[in-house]
Amino acid sequence: MNEFSADVGLQEAHDHALQSCSPLPRRKLSFGILVLLWLLRIYVVLAVPLVVYSFFRSLRLGQ
Amino acid sequence: MDADAATGKATETVTPTVWTPSREDLMRAQDRRVVNVARLARRPFWLLLLLAGPGILVMLGENDGPSMLSYATTGANYGIGFFVPFICLTFLMAFVVQEMTVRIGVATRRGHAELIFDRFGPFWGYFSMIDLVIGNVLTLITEFIAIRAGAAYFGIPATVALSVGLLIVLVALSTRRYFTWERFALVLSLGNLLFVPAALFAHPDPAAVLHALATWSPIAGGVNATFVMLMLANVGATVTPWMIFFQQSAVVDKGLTRNDIPQGRLDTGLGATFAAVAAIATVIACTPLFMHHVDAARLSGGTDFASALRPFIGNAGAALFALGIIEAGLVAAMTISTSSAYAFSEVMRCGHSLNLDFSSGSPFYMFAAGSAVLAALLVLSPHAPLLAITLTVNVIATLLMAPALLFVLLLANDREIMADLANRWRSNLAGGLIIVMIALMGSAYGLITLFPSLLPK
Repeated sequence: MNEFSADVGLQEAHDHALQSCSPLPRRKLSFGILVLLWLLRIYVVLAVPLVVYSFFRSLRLGQ
Repeated sequence: MDADAATGKATETVTPTVWTPSREDLMRAQDRRVVNVARLARRPFWLLLLLAGPGILVMLGENDGPSMLSYATTGANYGIGFFVPFICLTFLMAFVVQEMTVRIGVATRRGHAELIFDRFGPFWGYFSMIDLVIGNVLTLITEFIAIRAGAAYFGIPATVALSVGLLIVLVALSTRRYFTWERFALVLSLGNLLFVPAALFAHPDPAAVLHALATWSPIAGGVNATFVMLMLANVGATVTPWMIFFQQSAVVDKGLTRNDIPQGRLDTGLGATFAAVAAIATVIACTPLFMHHVDAARLSGGTDFASALRPFIGNAGAALFALGIIEAGLVAAMTISTSSAYAFSEVMRCGHSLNLDFSSGSPFYMFAAGSAVLAALLVLSPHAPLLAITLTVNVIATLLMAPALLFVLLLANDREIMADLANRWRSNLAGGLIIVMIALMGSAYGLITLFPSLLPK
């Protein structure tokens, strides 16, 4: 344990697993990013049913 | 609480908190010590060898079973021509995206899923993780299908092939050491270059390759539905969501620091180069099928391609091709299962490192091992809807690529966490253009796969 303890000091402080466990604060989102994220939500709402449809369509093809 | 003898009041016993390094810290510190020694000794090549890993693994990991079959189909349909330089372009795009993950990982010391959760809230955090995990488990199934198909060429039964494949994935995880896992995967991943000697057995004309690289032609048969589908499939075979999550988490797990960014970039560049060479070699190896007008639509798996190639590139060439397909599936199974485990453990706030011991990293290891076991069992199951899964994988990966790419760009521009490592205008311009292009092409591929009638014949 001791022979490695000195090595640990070589690392940048935030390299340590314990320190990187603390969450970062939420980002303050600008109007532009908020709009972008809402567009992304709409995209996701459209994309997810397509994926589900694709799976069931492929299931039918396989039968 | 102790009772004070004089006053009789309860007093708090203050125990000085001593930071005890975890196994994860100690293992990473060992790796960093060797890196620091190499840096102080001014041994750049040795330093690169030590720091290389995440970039090469992510690029060669993405040259997975389905991707290699995609390149093989390209070679069988178009031979040496437009797709040779096009593949170089797709890996250049992959490099630009992946380089951002190196900087984000170094600047924040956090994985991609964790960062999305922290900075954009639980909705996007859980969405990214669930989307990735579902896509990854389905992709893992296709990797085990590739292992089974490649092994079938040598007459190895599916049960044996899948058990050995699974065992390799599990043994690598059981080392509980990032560096060992990474070296093990790196050695295996170099097997992707088996496609190079396979291509040489096809006796390609070097002048034709150079002509294709210089002129982006010929396009046999012109631009038609197959051409557009293969172009989109090749883009889909180069940049996928798991790569972003994997490389950022691996950079953090490896403990790369700001001083290591040049090597991190070089690692990613080398990975892109190796992967492009292997991909082009696959196209070239399958060119004889195009020259001899073999119907590529009949060929669907690794065994089909290797058997069809045997009359043209010989037994050795076909065997190398089949071995390459096994390797492609195996390395991807290792990297993709680890990518899922990183994302899951980061969002669930569990330990997420390949340096953890089994007790403190049980959710991480169970997730990585569990997803691989589940995928292998499903491939063995006679009733599993493997065709549906294989077809859905592409749709999931391509349709949901847009959110993953957008978050990379948003995070790389987040100056609060990136400070001076944030994107500058040039990287934003290149990254933005690539992201818009990949997202549009990916979405188009997903839609065309779903609705083939959208594409005129």
